[in-house]
Amino acid sequence: MTPPASRSADWLAEAAAVFAKEWRCELRTRYALNTLGLFAFTTLVMVSAGLGPLGAARAVGTPVLPVLLWLILLFAAAAGLPRVFVQEEETHTAIALRLAATPSALFCGKLAYGATLMLALEALVAPLFLAMLQLDVAAPGLFAATLLAGGCGLAIASTLIAAMIAQARGRSTLFAVLAFPVTLPLLLLVVELTRNAVAGEPAGGALVQLLLYDATVAVASLMLFPVVWNP
Amino acid sequence: MPPTSLRFTSLRRRFGRLAVLQGVSGAVGEGGALLVTGPNGSGKSTLLRCLAGLLAPDAGTVELTEEGRLLDAAGRRRSVGYVAPDLAFYEELTAGENLAFFGRLRGAPPERGRELLGRLGLPAERLAGALSSGMRQRLRWVWALLHRPRLLLLDEPFQNLDAEGESAARDLLAAHRAGGGLAVVASPSPLELDGDAPRLALG
Repeated sequence: MTPPASRSADWLAEAAAVFAKEWRCELRTRYALNTLGLFAFTTLVMVSAGLGPLGAARAVGTPVLPVLLWLILLFAAAAGLPRVFVQEEETHTAIALRLAATPSALFCGKLAYGATLMLALEALVAPLFLAMLQLDVAAPGLFAATLLAGGCGLAIASTLIAAMIAQARGRSTLFAVLAFPVTLPLLLLVVELTRNAVAGEPAGGALVQLLLYDATVAVASLMLFPVVWNP
Repeated sequence: MPPTSLRFTSLRRRFGRLAVLQGVSGAVGEGGALLVTGPNGSGKSTLLRCLAGLLAPDAGTVELTEEGRLLDAAGRRRSVGYVAPDLAFYEELTAGENLAFFGRLRGAPPERGRELLGRLGLPAERLAGALSSGMRQRLRWVWALLHRPRLLLLDEPFQNLDAEGESAARDLLAAHRAGGGLAVVASPSPLELDGDAPRLALG
């Protein structure tokens, strides 16, 4: 019988191997980086041109702009993150993964990749968004915490939904149908928190709710994933 | 080597209205092999996928025992070595990188992959996407044997291999069986296996 410490080390090594493989493949193909980056940049320019300093008045912009920031991030994530499992099915590498990987380690490795991709996207988009729209953030700490927790939440939800739709037909439709109820609470919270950060108001209970959302979806994902992934 | 045995009983599997497996049974003991034959569409690949735990049968049981322990479907998936035409690797990684990745997942030391690559004459530094169909089949063999499985499930295992590759693969299979390992080999051709392996005809 393998001791628990050794099993934990093996599990971590598996998750780390999946994470490293994902980034190695991504840096060679740049599929997700290009898709997410191009989508985010295009929408950012459109929003900036329409609602930036020369567009909407500041009084109109402040309540609206946080919504637009998260719409950009949501759709950029939706354009790139579902690939993490869909591509495995399309290229038939899923068979080798099913036979070789522990499902929870596989999920966590993929999730870590999706989360770092999402956080990298946020690190690129958020400063540009603030600069191009000349939006001042009165509480930068809250803004950063919202981006961090919101980005992780989007990554967790997207990774689980990606696993659920990977073996289905009509994946794009299914992703939209499943993503709506799962991400809606997250989006409502991050928009509220971003508005608070911009206005310099306290986070209230919203940040705690956001962290609880992340934890709940993560635990639910870990429980559901082996059922979704395996026959 | 610990005793290993495989027994499957009354396996049934349908795809919609099409009944592919209709009460298929068989068994393989220590060092044994089972040759599954039948025409295209007779259910050979479906049977192997059920045995590997990649497909759940509608009815029937699969019992793989290793070290006296009966493995469930999850245990079977982690345990078996599997060679099949639909098994693919990451095309943007080299053969060596693919094996290093799967070796880490399966707890196999890196030198095991290098040893098998050498025995099958496969270039480690070539991208998997740039391998010929014969080289891909060699990579499937290396992948299947990476973690020293007790049960090999081989679906058309010599497909696309040249004479040298087939000879190396047959040597590996013989060494596996000589060490007490089991093999289930599916092929439309009845002459795939040497010796007196029992046959299971489907279709």
